[in-house]
Amino acid sequence: MKNFNLNEDQQDCLQEIINVAMGQASDQLARYLDTFVYLKVPSIEQVSSQHLSDTLKSEAQSVAVVSQGFFGYEGIRGEALLMYQPKDSDRLADLLGYEPDELSVEEQIIDLSSILTTTFLNVFASQIDNQMSYSAPRLLFSSNSDKNTSSESSISEHIQHNSFNWDVALKVKISYQVTDYSFNCDMILLIPESAIINITSVIDRILEEY
Amino acid sequence: MPDNPFCTTIAEQLNTGILILDLEFNIVEWNRFFAIHAHKDAKDVIGKNVFSAFPELPQKWFERKLSSVIQLNTQSFCSWEQRHHLFELSHTRPITTDSHFMAQNCTFLPIVTDKVVNHICILIEDVTDVCHYQTKLNKALEELAKANRIDGLTQVFNRKHWEECLDQEFSRARRYDHGLALIMFDLDHFKLLNDTYGHQCGDMVLIETAQKISSLLRLCDQFGRYGGEEFAAILPETDLIGAIDVAERICREIEKLVINFQDKNIRISTSVGVAIISPNDKRYEDLISNADHALYEAKATGRNKVCAAKEIEYILEE
Repeated sequence: MKNFNLNEDQQDCLQEIINVAMGQASDQLARYLDTFVYLKVPSIEQVSSQHLSDTLKSEAQSVAVVSQGFFGYEGIRGEALLMYQPKDSDRLADLLGYEPDELSVEEQIIDLSSILTTTFLNVFASQIDNQMSYSAPRLLFSSNSDKNTSSESSISEHIQHNSFNWDVALKVKISYQVTDYSFNCDMILLIPESAIINITSVIDRILEEY
Repeated sequence: MPDNPFCTTIAEQLNTGILILDLEFNIVEWNRFFAIHAHKDAKDVIGKNVFSAFPELPQKWFERKLSSVIQLNTQSFCSWEQRHHLFELSHTRPITTDSHFMAQNCTFLPIVTDKVVNHICILIEDVTDVCHYQTKLNKALEELAKANRIDGLTQVFNRKHWEECLDQEFSRARRYDHGLALIMFDLDHFKLLNDTYGHQCGDMVLIETAQKISSLLRLCDQFGRYGGEEFAAILPETDLIGAIDVAERICREIEKLVINFQDKNIRISTSVGVAIISPNDKRYEDLISNADHALYEAKATGRNKVCAAKEIEYILEE
């Protein structure tokens, strides 16, 4: 497996940018959702395409997964996966400020995913003088809607059925907790190898400025 | 639209609807695509509140959605898969699809001037085409999945799916130490019936028998065609006495069944084997084999009757 060869300084710098982005994002979310949002210290690791489904299997039992692509200047791009556990969605409408009969559970999940992804990545991008654009979020898998027809019973199966045109990716995992609504979900950012090289050069520029 | 001549031309020619609102949700601007598909006069739209110009909008939802765009200064989306459309617009395939309104993918963009969000831009993409074909595809997939589970002739579960059900029920019963019963049916003298009246008659008998047995089972029981003239039912949470009771009742009802084929009244009967899960059964196949032995006994001792596998017999055989 190839390595990104992020040295210690680069790794620290990336971790710091992500930590600051998390802090600001959780503050914005807390004000918008009018409740406290806790974010756990993110984990950053490298995954190979062969091992992606294994890696995600450990996040198993997700009842719904939403994917949203993101892309900025300087070749920075990737895909955000929002993974929801059973029972997480009970009070989502309430949390989002909608009436439960105004929108389906699927729509609530997609709506929240988009808010979590874009809030975090906007702050992340502004830290590195970049600007993100997003594709529309898409429900990859939901045990609610697929129970009758789909043979894919988990996200790892969903991913296993695909072949990839990338070898290694950077995986950033951030866990969100909204304790007042007993709600948890994980955000997993997957950044393909080519985009990592671009991020590395941005990090080097930041490090030089210090 | 902006003063830049490129922007004006593009915005007017784009096959995407553009609607710009201020923070009070008044309509500031729209493009040609939106105007054409909305069939409204500019004077009834520009400067008007979006909810009075487009009363079809779900106001509370829409306000909350836009508030996230303004407050978080981030784009938001709405897909036809969750909401077929927001605005009641016409579309370009009114003849060859059954969509009354344009299926829409909507994007809500914050427009920042002087470092604050002052406007919201709504982009509307016509995805009536996508919606039409995706709906067709989903329907086809559903039918395929059904065809994969159902026996074409009798419309009950096919052997493959029925065995998968048994596999699941067996492991569940094992894990939670619950009861599970299996009933196997074999129509008596079916070959003779085929030889005498022809295969069309045989098919009709299979269809009517399957219907009859289905109607006598509970909703949670799983019934399928096991082979040619063999059927089988899985009865969760059922003990031997309960299963024999059901089997006897079905046996009597089949005996009473009169099937009319080409003005002839045809009567049939079935032999039935019953087994329940026992600690000796390691795999679901053991349960099938026990029910099968009981079925054989019913055949060998006069047909049109129910026989139960006996616990003692399993042990003796081993």
